[in-house]
Amino acid sequence: MSAAGQGQNLTFATDREGTSAKPENQGQPVLVAKDVVVDYGGVHAVNRVSLSVAAGEVLGIIGPNGAGKSSFLAALGGQVRRASGTISLDGHEVSGLLPHQRARLGLARTFQTTSEFSRMTVFENLVTAAEGDTGSSLKAVVLHPRRTAQREQELVSHAWEVLERFEMTQVANLYGGELSGGQRRLVEIMRCLMRRPKVLLLDEPMVGVAPHLTGKLISDLRGISRDGLAIVVVEHAMEVVRKLCDRVMVMAFGEVIASGTFEEVAQDATVQSAYLS
Amino acid sequence: MSAWGFYVATLLIYFAVDLLSGIALNLQFGYAGVVNFGYIVFQAVGAYVAAVVTLGPSLGAGSYQQYILGAHLPFPLDLLAATAAGALLSLLVGLFSLRRMRRDYQAAVLLIVSLIALQVVSADVPLFNGSNGLTGVGWPLGQLFGVTATQSPWLYTVWSLVVVAVVFVGVSWLSRSPWGRSLRAMRDNQGAASAMGLNITSLRLQVFVIGGAIAGLSGGLLVEYIGAWSPGAWGYAETFVIFTAIFVGGVGNYRGVVLGVLLVPVIFLEIPRFLPAIGYPGLTASLEWVVIGLAWMLCIFFRPRGILPERRLHVTPPGALEPGALQPEAAPR
Repeated sequence: MSAAGQGQNLTFATDREGTSAKPENQGQPVLVAKDVVVDYGGVHAVNRVSLSVAAGEVLGIIGPNGAGKSSFLAALGGQVRRASGTISLDGHEVSGLLPHQRARLGLARTFQTTSEFSRMTVFENLVTAAEGDTGSSLKAVVLHPRRTAQREQELVSHAWEVLERFEMTQVANLYGGELSGGQRRLVEIMRCLMRRPKVLLLDEPMVGVAPHLTGKLISDLRGISRDGLAIVVVEHAMEVVRKLCDRVMVMAFGEVIASGTFEEVAQDATVQSAYLS
Repeated sequence: MSAWGFYVATLLIYFAVDLLSGIALNLQFGYAGVVNFGYIVFQAVGAYVAAVVTLGPSLGAGSYQQYILGAHLPFPLDLLAATAAGALLSLLVGLFSLRRMRRDYQAAVLLIVSLIALQVVSADVPLFNGSNGLTGVGWPLGQLFGVTATQSPWLYTVWSLVVVAVVFVGVSWLSRSPWGRSLRAMRDNQGAASAMGLNITSLRLQVFVIGGAIAGLSGGLLVEYIGAWSPGAWGYAETFVIFTAIFVGGVGNYRGVVLGVLLVPVIFLEIPRFLPAIGYPGLTASLEWVVIGLAWMLCIFFRPRGILPERRLHVTPPGALEPGALQPEAAPR
C-alpha cells in the first residue's frame, strides 16, 4: 500500500519552518469538540470543554495535575464516556462511537501509561497497528490470503521506514515489555503513525524519552503535522509545548481557563495563578 | 488385540481429544487472553449432540434412556453436528459473557456457566437422560466399514490423529496470520488494541466460537469411542487439567501444547495406575488433583511461559528481507 493510497503522505520534515507544499485540507477543522462533560461519580472531571483542531495544527493542553486533561483526551478517543457534549471527527459525529470505530475514522492516540503490546516485538507492534481492522480480519485472512500477504509485505516496508526514522531498528526484535520507558513511548507514537491517522492524540509523549531524541521527535511531529495531521498533545514539559504547539489550551479543575499561543497563555494572570507561577 | 495394545490405543485417542482441547484453549487463552473456565461445557454439548444424532429417536419416558434430537445421522454429519453445537453454544454464551467486561469477571462468569450447565443437565432428565447419561453411542464412520470403535481401536486412533492434525495445522496457520497477531495485541493490551481499530468484542467472540467448535468436535470424537457420556465426565475441574497442560507445555506455543498434553493428562495422570495403592480407596485419585494444582502453581512461579515459551518473531532489516519474512524463529530470551 502506498502512502498516497491512504490519502496522506507521511514525510518527516526536520525543519520547523519547512517549505513542503501544504495539503488541501490544511486549516480545515478536523476534530471539533463542544461542551464535553465527563463525570466520575457525580464529580465533573471535565466541565463543558470545547476545542477545534485544524489539519496541520498542533494544539497543546496543559494544566496542573487533576485538571482533567487526560480525561478529556480519553473522552475524545472514546475510552471514557462523556456525560454530554458532542465530538466530531472530519465531519463525522463520533460522540457515541466506540474507540475502535473512532480509530477507523482516523483517530490515533497514545496513553498516559505506556501501552505497548508487551509480548510482541517492536516490529509486530507496528505492523499490527497498521493492519488495524481491514487486513487482519478473519474474513480477509481466510478468503483473501494472497491479498493479505501482499499487504503484509507493504506494511513491512513501511514499518522499517518508520523504525529507521525514529532510530529504533536495533530494537525491532525486542519485545515491547523489554524496552525502556522512553522507547515504549516512541513505539506508541510509531504505532500511531503506522495507521496514517487524521488526528493524533498524545498523552505526555515525552516522558522518559532520551534528551537527544526529544528535539528530533518534536521536529518530526512538526513535520508530520505540516503534512495535514492534526495533533492534540497533553504535556507537562513547557519547553516541549513551546516548541511543538501552535496553540495552547490551559485547563484547571476540569475547565478551560485560557487559550492562545504559548506566549499569550504564559502572560495570562489566571494561568499564572493556577499553574505557571 | 492384547490388553496393552488396547490400552495404548485408548491412551492415544485420549491424547488426541485432549490435544484438541489444548489447541482450542491455547487459541482462546494463549493468543487472545480469553480465560474460558467453562471450556468443558462446550466439549460436553458436542459429545451429547454427537450421541443423540447417532443413537436414533428416543423411546421417551419409561425407556432406559431419554433425550432430545434423536436421529441416525451418517458420517460426517454426526461430527459436523457436534462441531456446530459447540460453536452455537459458544456464540450464545459469548454474547452475554464476553461483552465489555473485565477479563477476570469473564472467567468467573464462564466458571459459573459451567457449574449451572452441569446442574441443569443432571436434573433435567428428558434433555440428555440426567445424571445417568447416555450409553450405546456408535461410530458412524466405522459403520461404513462394518466395524465399531472398540473392535478397531487402532483404526479409531488413526482417525483421531488425522482429525487433530488437520485442526492443529489450521489453527496454527490462523494464529500466525495477521488475525492471530490481532489476538495477541488484544491479549497484551485491550485498550491500545481498541485504539488501533480492533473490535475487541468481535475478536473475542470469533475466538470463542472457533474454540467452542473445536471443543464440540473433541466431545464428538470422544463419545463415539467410549460410547457413553454423562455429567460425571465433564466436571468443571476437567478444564483445569487442560489449562495445566498449557501452562506446563508453553502458553501461546502449539508445540508446547502438544508437550503439555502429553505430560499432564496422559503421562502424569496415568502414572498412578502403575503405583501401589496408598491409603484408603480413592486417595490416589484425589491426590492427582492436588498434584495437578501444584504443577500449575509451580509453573506460574518458576516457569510462567512453560517449557516451550511463545516463539519470538525475528525479522531482518531491508535488503536481507525475503518474502515471508514474518515467520517466527526461536530466539534466546
